[in-house]
Parts: sequence; C-alpha cells; structure tokens
Amino acid sequence: MDKLSGAQAELREMDALAAADSPVHRLHPLCKLLVTILYIAVTVSFPKYDFNGLMVMLLYPVLLFQAAGIPVRLCFYRLRMVLPLVCAVGIANPFLDPVPLMRLGGLPVTGGMVSMVTLMMKGIFSLMASFLLIATTPIDALCAALRKLHVPGLLVTLLLLTYRYIGLMLREVAVMTEAYHLRAPGQRGIHISAWGSFLGQLLLRSMDRAEELYGSMLLRGFRGEFHYADIPACRASGVVFTMVCTAAILTARFVRITTLLGSLFVR
Amino acid sequence: MIEFQNVSFGYDAAHSVVEGLCFSIGKGESVGLIGANGAGKSTIMKLMLGLLRGSGEIRVDGLLVCRENLPAIRKKIGFVLQDSDNQMFMPTVYEDMTFGPRNYGLSKAETDRRVDEVLNQLGLQELKFRYNHKISGGEKRMAAIATILAMEPEVILMDEPSTALDPVNRRTVIRTINSLPQTKLIASHDLDMILDTCQRVILLSHGTIAADGDTETILRDRALLEDNRMELPFCLQGWSPSTRSHLPG
Amino acid sequence: MHMADALLAPAVAATMYAASAVTVGASVRTLKKDENMAKLPTMAVTSALVFAGQMINYTIPGTGSSGHLCGGMLLSSLLGPQAGFLSMVVILAIQALFFADGGLLALGANCWNMAFYGCFVGYYLLWRPIMGSKLFQGLGAKGAGRAKIILASVLGCVITLQLGAFSVVLETSLSGITELPFGTFAGIMQPIHLAIGLVEGLITSAVLVFVYEARPELIMDVASAEGESRYSLKTTIVILAVVAAIVGGGLSLFASANPDGLEWSMFGNAESGYSENMGLDEENYGISSGAAEVASSIQDKTAFLPDYAFAGSDSAAGTSVSGLVGSAIVAAVAIAVCMAGGFFRKKKEYANA
Repeated sequence: MDKLSGAQAELREMDALAAADSPVHRLHPLCKLLVTILYIAVTVSFPKYDFNGLMVMLLYPVLLFQAAGIPVRLCFYRLRMVLPLVCAVGIANPFLDPVPLMRLGGLPVTGGMVSMVTLMMKGIFSLMASFLLIATTPIDALCAALRKLHVPGLLVTLLLLTYRYIGLMLREVAVMTEAYHLRAPGQRGIHISAWGSFLGQLLLRSMDRAEELYGSMLLRGFRGEFHYADIPACRASGVVFTMVCTAAILTARFVRITTLLGSLFVR
Repeated sequence: MIEFQNVSFGYDAAHSVVEGLCFSIGKGESVGLIGANGAGKSTIMKLMLGLLRGSGEIRVDGLLVCRENLPAIRKKIGFVLQDSDNQMFMPTVYEDMTFGPRNYGLSKAETDRRVDEVLNQLGLQELKFRYNHKISGGEKRMAAIATILAMEPEVILMDEPSTALDPVNRRTVIRTINSLPQTKLIASHDLDMILDTCQRVILLSHGTIAADGDTETILRDRALLEDNRMELPFCLQGWSPSTRSHLPG
Repeated sequence: MHMADALLAPAVAATMYAASAVTVGASVRTLKKDENMAKLPTMAVTSALVFAGQMINYTIPGTGSSGHLCGGMLLSSLLGPQAGFLSMVVILAIQALFFADGGLLALGANCWNMAFYGCFVGYYLLWRPIMGSKLFQGLGAKGAGRAKIILASVLGCVITLQLGAFSVVLETSLSGITELPFGTFAGIMQPIHLAIGLVEGLITSAVLVFVYEARPELIMDVASAEGESRYSLKTTIVILAVVAAIVGGGLSLFASANPDGLEWSMFGNAESGYSENMGLDEENYGISSGAAEVASSIQDKTAFLPDYAFAGSDSAAGTSVSGLVGSAIVAAVAIAVCMAGGFFRKKKEYANA
C-alpha cells in the first residue's frame, strides 16, 4: 500500500538526515526548538496583505538548510499534506476580496490574490522550519529538550516509546495489507466484512506485545521513571544561535527590510 | 541456584498450564528447556521472574519468589525475550543497555564502563549508537543479549534465542551463549542448538516434566522426542531421505 | 482535519496550546495518581498501531471511495479518556513533526480539535452513558454489548467530529485567515464531516466489536454494559438529549440565517477597510514610526530613482513597488544560496569520490 510504504520511507529518510553531522545538527536541541517555534509564530503573525514583509522570512530556512547540508527540495514532497487545506481555505479569497490593491503593468492585483499567496507562503515557510528541526535533531535529543521545557515525563516517555514502535506497526500493517490484497485482487481497500478483524487482530497482538514489553521493562528495574540521554549543557554556540536568530526574526517582523532594500533602487 | 517445588499455574481453574513441577538447577549449569508448543516453557520462565503467580514454591539463589523479593530476584536474572523488538524499547542500543543498570541505581560512569565491557566482549562496539529500529535481525538479537549482560545477571533465561536468524548469526549466538559463565536456562525448539549449548535438558509435556537428564541421552531418544512432537536433531539423524519417512504425520 | 500553522494567528494558536496543555497536565496527574504504569507500554503500542491503522483504506460499500479509522474514540474506549488523550497527543505530535501533517504551532489546536473532543467528550458524554445504560436489553448480554458499542462509537465519532470541524472553522475565522463568511465556511465543513464521522464511526465500531468478541476485558466499561447498569434508561436518554441539544443548538446557532451579523459582531468590521490591516500602511503597521523614520532617512540617502517610479500609482502601491523589488532581491538571494549550497555539496561529493 502506497501510504504505508511512503510513511516508512519518510521515517527512514528523517532518521538518515538527523543522523548526519553539520553545524546545525550540533546545535543544542532546545535552542533549535525554541527558535523554530518563534520563527513559525512570527511567520504566521504577518498581516495578510504583507507579502513583502513575509518574503524576508524565506531567508531563515534557506540559509539553515544550506548550513545543515540538506537540499531544500526534500521538504517539498511533504507539502502535499499541508497545502490542500491551506488552499481550500485560501482559494476563495481572490473571489471574495476583489478590490485591487495595486496595479502591476496594468494588471490589477487584488487583495484576495495577495492574501491567498501570503497564506500559502506561510504554510510553506512554517513547514520548512519544522522540517529543518526534525531533519537535524534526533528524536531522543528532542525528547530531552522537551523534558528541559518541563513537558511531563509521562508524555515524553510515551512519545519516545510510540516513535520506537511506529516503524514496527507500519511494517506489520503493510505486511497484513499485502497479504490481504494478494488474496483479494482488484479490491482497493479493505472490504466491509473484514473491517473489524483486520485492525482488530493487530490490536489484540499489540496488546500481547505491550504486555511483554512491560514485563521486559519491569525485569530491568523500571519503577515509573525513565532516564533520558543526558544532553550536554547549552554551549556558547547555542546561545549565540538563539540570540542571533531571535534578533533577526524580530527585525524581519518589525523592520520592513524588503521595502528598505527595494528603496535602494526605486523610490 | 533455581528451585521449583510443586509449582502449578493455570489461567483458569479448569486448565492448568504447568502442574506439580519439581526440579532444581545448580550454579553454572546450562539447561535446555524443550517441549511442544504450549508445553509450558515460557510459563516456567515467567513464573521464575514473578511475571506470573502460581502455587508452590520457587526459589532463586535461596530467595523465595514473592512480591517483596522481586526486585532482588529480577536483578539476578536476565531474560532475553523471543522478540527482540519487545525487549529493545529505547531508541538506541546504548540507551537500551543503560536502561536496566540506571534503574538499579548505578552511576553513569559505572554504567558506561559496563556497556563498553559487554560490547567489547561480544564484539559489537559498532552497534553502540545505532538505532534499534534500524539494525538487522541478527544484530538486534545480539544487542538484546548485550542489554541483558549489561545488568551482570547471575542467571540468564533465553526464550528461543535462535529463531529467525541466518546460520551465521545463529552460530554467533551459540558461540556467545557458550562463552557466558552464568547459569543458563534456554527454551527452544532448535534441538541442534540445545545440543551445542546445554549439558542438561528438561523435556516438558503438557505442563509436567517428561524427562530430565543428560542432553545427548534425551536428544538421542527418538521415541521420546516423537511422542512430544519433536524430531532428532539433524546432526544425530545421519540424515537421508529415508529417515524422514519415520516421522509421524 | 489537521490544522496547518498557516491557518492560525499566533494568539489563537497560543490559546489552543494553553487549553491542550492544561488537559495534558490534568490527564498526567490522573494517570500518575492511579500509579498504573503498566498502561504506559500499552498506550505506546496502541498509539503506534492507531497511527499506522489510520493509513488503512476501508472500502465503503456501494461507493468507490474509502474511509479511515477514528483514533480518538478508539483510543479512549480502549485506554480510558486520559490515557487515550495522551496517546492522541503523541500521535498528533509525530504526525506534525515527522509527516508534516498539521504543524508545530497548530499542534495545540489539533490536540483540542481531535484529541480532546474525541477522548473526553466522546468518553464522558457518550461512551460511558451508553455503555452503562439499559438500552438493547432484549438482545441478551452479548448482543446488547455489541449494539451499545456500535451506537456509542457511531454517535461518538459523528458528534466529536462535528465539534472538531466546528472548532477548525472557529479557529480559522478568529485568526482572520479566510475571506469566506463564517456561516458559509461552517456550512461546507459540517456536512462533510457528518459523512466522514458516520463512516469513521462504523469502522471504529467494527474494530471494537471484534475486540469485544475476542477479549472483552480490553474494552472500557464492558462490565457495566453486560452486568448491572449504572444508569437507568431515563438517565441515559436525558444525557444524550442534552448532548444533542448542545451540539445541535450550538451548530445551528452559528450556521444560522444571519451569519453575517454574527461575523460582524465577532470579528469587528475589519473587512470594510483593508488599509487598516494591509500591513503596507505605515501608520497602522506593526510598530512605531521610528522604524519608518529610519527607513525614510535611508531612503533619502540611497534612492537614485525619483519619487514613485511608476506613474499614476497611488502612494500605498508605490511603497509596495519598492517592497516588491526588495522581495525580488530576497528571492534571488535565496535561490542563489540554494544553488551555491547544491554546488558545494556536489563538489564535496566529487572530492570524496
């Protein structure tokens, strides 16, 4: 099944990317997490007609992608998840907001057109930023960072364990789906007669697996607390990165850089 | 080291999985546990670890298996699960190996020393920082054994350690088992492996002990094995197509 | 139904984060109080399975299309509302982080829209009352249990999805993202999710009934479904009626005949004057005029083209022309950086080869 093998491939790809080494990979995970959240929050906070202000935000992901040695095109495949809803919401704008804001070479540019484009840009930019975070930060480092942010240990442990088993479950579901389709050629999905048993079987098996898993945890002295990988203390590089990025992002939000840049050439 | 006295267990009153088990295993012994599917092999191991509660008395190194003694007993016993994926729940091999020792209150330095020692002993240094979901089946099995050894157990229980391994990996696991000085109890259908790793065999049949003794004696007893849905180990068969025709079913 | 980052204003996203965070905190506390750590591996394995299970395509009989599983209802009926909620949160986080489904900023909103309604509303207002009721007593213990599971999961999925879809509409509109009138947007989203909820509910109930037949002890409140009823038929009907009234009343109120009036009062009259939120207008824009002054002084010194190069355009457009030129420069820089990066990477690969 396409979706299942696609998901497995994506997980593998992210793992491989996160395992690489670059200045961005070496940054403290907590710093990256905070900067990413700030970046996305600032990006989506741009007013809906502020195409020019938003454009500057493109520089952050593009520069960091290069510093991390990750080709930008890798994240565009993922846009298929984000863009449909964004487009569905934005597509009506040009029709509902037809007042021209300006003219470009005689063609009117309406408010709706601008707001649709900025909406899509926001979607693309925030995707690029979170892709960058995951592509340069292994899950265990991210979990350690979440602990530092005082996210409850139970939730972080659950995230870690779930991530560990997602690959396994995707494989099991994929194998079962293959086995199903081998005996049901021509069917596109699961027939109604197997709706319950298909996932139900897996569910029962998973419950047994969980029991074994818990046994294995108990046998190794588990008493409710996980010891997280010690992430090194935040080094100077992380502090500098956080400060520089914060300053740059806030500057981009509150100083209209593109207008300044443009006014060097036109008035 | 391990003593079972009249141990019984059943999921419900009508059907017992094991019944009236009595046996003991001495320090440093290597014992194979064989029997048909559902004969009670895994149940015995889980009873010993306190994961299941039955009637009768089980002692591990003199300690009675009961609620108060469980932490002490589980510290002494290492259990290698049949499905390594169920055992290795942390993201990397290293973190999995430190899970047990850290839970038993060892310092990070001591834990790291143990991890490196075990990895060197098994020749697995290159696996240390690999992801559990990305290593191969053979590597995973070896890593699971390493996870248990890092706890420095006195007894090692293994549930089907050779399943789903290619011959080379299987050989590696056998060599590893033989290099371990601890008391070992190995449940398996792989009789050739039992022959290579154990001096003594306990044969279970419907939850009771059908035979207990020297490995070669039991594994050469064709009638006994076939009664229990097993066949002679290949290396004792003098295999030829004609020997197959003796098999039941 | 995953919200994307772009559809949320930071204030809305932060509010939803806060709401979800409080729910997470409360759930963690409840679970910790139970000291039931045995649940942790079950939660992890089940949420991993539900994650994968949501990718299975179920054929809907009589149509060419396929439906999917509803995670929240399934998880809360297997694990209970608190554990189910945390599991959903983890699933949504992984979807947002690794699969770009949803977004980092929208995670709070998504947890609320999908996990909170699915788990807490679905469980406390539908699952438990129905499972504990005296409904379907004519079908025998087993049959009544089955019927109650089907009823509870279908109703649960439909209602929680309605609530979720409505929240999506509300959050998007509050964020001022779409030009669609609130009523129209809701009018599109709600019926679509009614159909989706029905199908998801049927699929979920099929899975739950299968588990019920095989291992009934795995399902929440089964004892009360088969044995002594906790609620009388009357209580159940009253609870259900209240739920229906709240959901139905709320939805129809918002999607009512006068959506524009509602929208007007809710969002102010912002649409009437774009210049106010154009972001191109210096006086109303972002911060102080200090930056604007600096800008104009720099402009005075550096500009080599006369005022408003494009004749006939008004002042706002004129400003944005220089803005557009600046944007073009930024885009060019970005492309150059990408190309340079690609160039150096290739070179390095050659050097390594």
